[in-house]
Amino acid sequence: MQQTLPIPSAVFTEVFSTHNGAIYQSDSENCWYIDFAGKLARFDYRNLLKLKKAVYQIDIEDLLLNSTKSADLEIIFICACDHCYVLSLIQIIKLKELLQGTFTMLELNHIIYDRLYRIII
Amino acid sequence: MKDIIRAKCLISSDVEALINQQIKKEAHSSAIYLSMASWCNRNGYDFSADYFFKQSEEERMHQLKFYKYVLDMGGTAISPEITNIKIEYNSFREVFEEALDQEISVTQSIKNIAARCHKEQDYVTLEFLNWFFREQREEEYKARRALELFDVIGEEGTGRWQIDKHVGQINYSAEA
Repeated sequence: MQQTLPIPSAVFTEVFSTHNGAIYQSDSENCWYIDFAGKLARFDYRNLLKLKKAVYQIDIEDLLLNSTKSADLEIIFICACDHCYVLSLIQIIKLKELLQGTFTMLELNHIIYDRLYRIII
Repeated sequence: MKDIIRAKCLISSDVEALINQQIKKEAHSSAIYLSMASWCNRNGYDFSADYFFKQSEEERMHQLKFYKYVLDMGGTAISPEITNIKIEYNSFREVFEEALDQEISVTQSIKNIAARCHKEQDYVTLEFLNWFFREQREEEYKARRALELFDVIGEEGTGRWQIDKHVGQINYSAEA
């Protein structure tokens, strides 16, 4: 189930990284590679958005305040995607941070594209 | 680095989420009108029942228009779940009061989407929304006019029968 792929560095552009993981974009494949929780997983546009939605929807505050004895593990399963994550609360916070940074950088990339190539000033 | 997200989708995720909420709102409206049609029919107000059946169809059409827009722009349209539809109303007048409330709520909600589009400079969606603003002008006029009938005709005697007869004739034909 869990596949690890070697990173051919020339093809990838790092979008955002933290101490805990990184997200790379592959222009030739139109997709992203997420290096997190010990594996490298490929996400296309739809799946990346689904992952973002799934992670953002987790109520971290509720999990923190929750005093039940159940383990603080969350299974992030994305429909029609080969990967799933089983993450602890700390990892969820880290993944969320990684995704937030990534989407900010993608937004910035969009603005730069607009300014450099698309908008005639 | 390619701008993949923009290549895949014209609208932002915020606008997409707002339109998906609007899709739910229109579906909710359609279901409410259907329920109003049922109440009117059960209570002998057949013309009003027909009027609400027609309104329900229109709201459904609005829902699909938003739905297709999201898909055409590369977004994900979400088919909404509709629950908690009222079955009983206290009076004939209350049905129309709630119908107007419903239309006002739809107008306000679309205005909110437009405000977001202005902020993002999403002129494409703004232009799309213009059709709905024109439509809401008509919808609110019709709902307001129906309520007016209760005041000008009065509910005494055969009043309600008269009101019911005139509801079906409400028509908005202002020059655009």
